[in-house]
Amino acid sequence: MAATTESVKADAAEAPLLNKRNMFLGAALYVVFYGWVRWYEGVYGWSAGLDSFAPEFETYWMNFLYIEFVLEIITASILWGYLWKSRDRKVMSITPREELRRHMTHWTWLVMYGIAIYYGASYFTEQDGTWHQTIVRDTDFTPSHIIEFYLSYPIYIITGGACFLYAKTRLPTYQQGLHLQYMVAVLGPFMILPNVGLNEWGHTFWFMEELFVAPLHYGFVFFGWAALGVMGVVNTEVAAIAKLLKKDLA
Amino acid sequence: MSASQSAVRSRAEAVKVSRTFDWLIIFTLFFVVLGGYHIHYMLTGGDWDFWTDWKDRRLWVTVAPIVSITFPAAVQSMLWWRYRLPFGAVLCILGLLLGEWVNRYLNFWGWTYFPVNFCFPSNLMPGAIVLDVVLMLSGSMTVTAVLGGMAWGLLFYPGNWPIIAPLHVPVEYNGMMMTLADLQGYHYVRTGTPEYIRMVEKGTLRTFGKDVAPVSAFFSAFVSILIYFLWHFFGKWFNGTSFTQSA
Repeated sequence: MAATTESVKADAAEAPLLNKRNMFLGAALYVVFYGWVRWYEGVYGWSAGLDSFAPEFETYWMNFLYIEFVLEIITASILWGYLWKSRDRKVMSITPREELRRHMTHWTWLVMYGIAIYYGASYFTEQDGTWHQTIVRDTDFTPSHIIEFYLSYPIYIITGGACFLYAKTRLPTYQQGLHLQYMVAVLGPFMILPNVGLNEWGHTFWFMEELFVAPLHYGFVFFGWAALGVMGVVNTEVAAIAKLLKKDLA
Repeated sequence: MSASQSAVRSRAEAVKVSRTFDWLIIFTLFFVVLGGYHIHYMLTGGDWDFWTDWKDRRLWVTVAPIVSITFPAAVQSMLWWRYRLPFGAVLCILGLLLGEWVNRYLNFWGWTYFPVNFCFPSNLMPGAIVLDVVLMLSGSMTVTAVLGGMAWGLLFYPGNWPIIAPLHVPVEYNGMMMTLADLQGYHYVRTGTPEYIRMVEKGTLRTFGKDVAPVSAFFSAFVSILIYFLWHFFGKWFNGTSFTQSA
């Protein structure tokens, strides 16, 4: 009787396998933040973002750029540093239940990566198309670039890096080396950011009008393919989770 | 970790956990594939997809299916060949269309003020349904590439015809003959995309008038077959679960 009571108490005190609250708060953070960003674009894109030589451009757009650079470096340093410093040095000796809980947390990170990739690669990238097909660019740091290249891309890079680091530092599944497809899924989209260098060089060198299918943009396409590496991650996760649940589901 | 210990307390909890993982996987796969597919599609066929005056009988019909069969082939190589789930192509197209429609409404219309009937996306769903059905019924990658890939190219124009036909009606404007879609393009000026870079109705084949769209669709179907093969094997590589050597 006493043992049963203790067991029930332990269950009640135990952290849930999936912390839904954290997951929804995380998702809400991205959605609310990007909602605000879109509002900012709507207000200050037309009123202060058409002429890069105007003082209001410096006020509303270049300062936005400088602030986001600083915040991104701070966020990446703190988040990645925390995940690495707090790594589990005895990761191969955790209980199956703890391993299952960590897989759930890992998937919470991957859900965030899905949201971050959507905003970066889909929402803000196609938005950049309509902005530049409408407004003639007079700088590399246009309002849509300041959001797309220098905000939404770093955010999905930071999120993807956090997913990879979490898996590498806390899950036994990823201890036998570096997961190739996982690295492709994280590093490929990361390479889109350095490819901005080629893009901007080409735009300043060759032309100012916007043909979205111009070969100059194919670097983005190539690295966008790397997102398919998520399929290898899913396959690895399915195998790991099936191993944990197999005998209970049989 | 001890193999004798269980990760769950009961079969019911195991089932619940398994279902939870299903949803987490579907959500993540959907949005990551959406992101990769959308950036691929907008930068290889985007201009023809953005604007009605680019949606011609020749290059739109040729380019859009060829560049869009890529991700469906790759995702099918995972969902069907590993899990026997027959909706890889539809999943991709649902993702792509969601990304496009959100953008066309909130950004093309909401930020740069182009009306939605000038910048709506192409419809790729008929080809996707056929591609999945052919794979499910045949269970063969080769049959899916040849029949499904061909259907993908051939169905594109008829699948979009009910939407685009009213905008291909000829009009005379200031003494010149053009389509309503052309007229939309002239009225809704895209300063950054001047008329001289619009790639429509190129080549001499258009002299034959009515034959342009079917011939273009047939050529597109041929290349779609080849691209399906290629991307099936790309997809198989991305499905890998290999590790680099531990340091």
